Amino acid sequence: MSQRDRLLPVLITLVIAMVLTVVPLPALLLPMRPYWVALVLIFWCLETQGLISLGSAFLIGLSLDILTGSLLGMHALSLVILVYLVTRFRARLRFFPPWQQALSVLALLLNDRIIVLWIISLRGDTFPLATFWLSPIVGTVLWPWIFLLLDRYRSLARHRSV
Amino acid sequence: MPSNSKVGAKLSEQATLTARLMLYVLMAIVLMAMDHRGQYVPRVRAVAVTVMEPVYHLVEWPVLALREVYGFFQGTQSLRRDNEKLQARLLEQKGALQRLDAMTQENTRLRALVDGAAGQQFEFQFAEMVEVDLDPFSHKVMINAGSKRGIEAGQAVIDGSGVMGQVEDVHLHLAAVRLISDPNHALPVQINRTGLRTVAFGTGNTSALSLPTVPREADVRVGDLLVTSGLGDRFPNGYPVATVASIDRQEGQTFATVQATPLAALDRGREVLLIKALPQPLPMEDTGAESADSNLADEEGDGGTEEGSEELADEAGDESAPGAEPEGDPEAKPQADPQAEPESSDAEPSTSEEGQQP
Repeated sequence: MSQRDRLLPVLITLVIAMVLTVVPLPALLLPMRPYWVALVLIFWCLETQGLISLGSAFLIGLSLDILTGSLLGMHALSLVILVYLVTRFRARLRFFPPWQQALSVLALLLNDRIIVLWIISLRGDTFPLATFWLSPIVGTVLWPWIFLLLDRYRSLARHRSV
Repeated sequence: MPSNSKVGAKLSEQATLTARLMLYVLMAIVLMAMDHRGQYVPRVRAVAVTVMEPVYHLVEWPVLALREVYGFFQGTQSLRRDNEKLQARLLEQKGALQRLDAMTQENTRLRALVDGAAGQQFEFQFAEMVEVDLDPFSHKVMINAGSKRGIEAGQAVIDGSGVMGQVEDVHLHLAAVRLISDPNHALPVQINRTGLRTVAFGTGNTSALSLPTVPREADVRVGDLLVTSGLGDRFPNGYPVATVASIDRQEGQTFATVQATPLAALDRGREVLLIKALPQPLPMEDTGAESADSNLADEEGDGGTEEGSEELADEAGDESAPGAEPEGDPEAKPQADPQAEPESSDAEPSTSEEGQQP
């Protein structure tokens, strides 16, 4: 499989994740929006070897910053740290049973929220409400389904390109 | 030993990974600091958003389609009811506007009589918010009008009930609006009842503004309406901004802690109006002042909001200093914009200004 064939599914899923990030939600559901791009990146980091480098995570984070109008570098920082952690512990994470994997995803997302909290407090913004912590929980609950969906899509894409 | 070298290779691999992590983290932090201070980065961002524009349209499309479907199935009955309601409201507002028209004319005549600067003429452009949810901590919204429709950075944005914010970056079909609730945003306002001028700062919370420069003895009451004062040349004067929600006068403090609630629906509005000052054919000196003002606004628009807010804070300090100088004297205020002074001091009743001086 050529490099381009391997990259295409990653790009498509990332664009979908970015669209989901800015799609309007009712105010009640707003704090529950999972960190879609992070979930998709975790999947591709686990399933492919060396395809998602720290540099590409940085660039994806920058485009997410531009898309959401947040402080430039905020998502870049959070995604670089996330991808670093997944790459570092990839061998272990891959062979965890699903529930244990979901728990490690929770840990990754919580860690990410702490980084965001740190940036917010440095900027002097008001402290977020308790609902701020809902997003990682929703992400964890969704993780097994996202994993299965992406895995299915990946095998389909592979069959088509072969 | 093969196993040893393998372990060594793995270790060095991890070391390079960590080193690269450090590099990227550093880069991200530098970028954030630059963005926060408003250096270089806003320009880069303005270009980059143009690349991202298709994603916004992609997001908005299903929402618009859903709304279309909903409109299709909305019964004739409810449409007729809506129509009647709107007609009634239109009539009501027309009545109010008739009086306003007469008053505007009277105002122009009186201004001409005292030889003051004429009130500016404004044009309104309608725009809708783009149906995307941006970062909840950025205090920005996207509107569906950009440079194609003549939108410029620095234009004031209002909705049906009050001031919302100002245009920050303009793209081809979109523009980003910085809300007045942003912690880096400062809005020159005056209390409608007394004419006391001050500055409303964003707090990072869409339902509160803070007024840190109101003197402790000043005549402020809960429920007072704050309107734009027109200082700073960004927002035209007289638009409602917020109502005073709480006042805390502590002993021994120079300033009272005043909180206000914005009138505009900052977190849930949809339709907005952009205000554009019309160039007007008037006596020589006025047109000169006009173009100088617009130049100033352009320059400020490039600089980002932070410097603007500091400047405004300075002005506010001058304004609230009790009895510092006679009204409308341009020489007395070197750092305030001399063009703006006579106009705004004309606009407010001077008797009440004296009344509130402690």
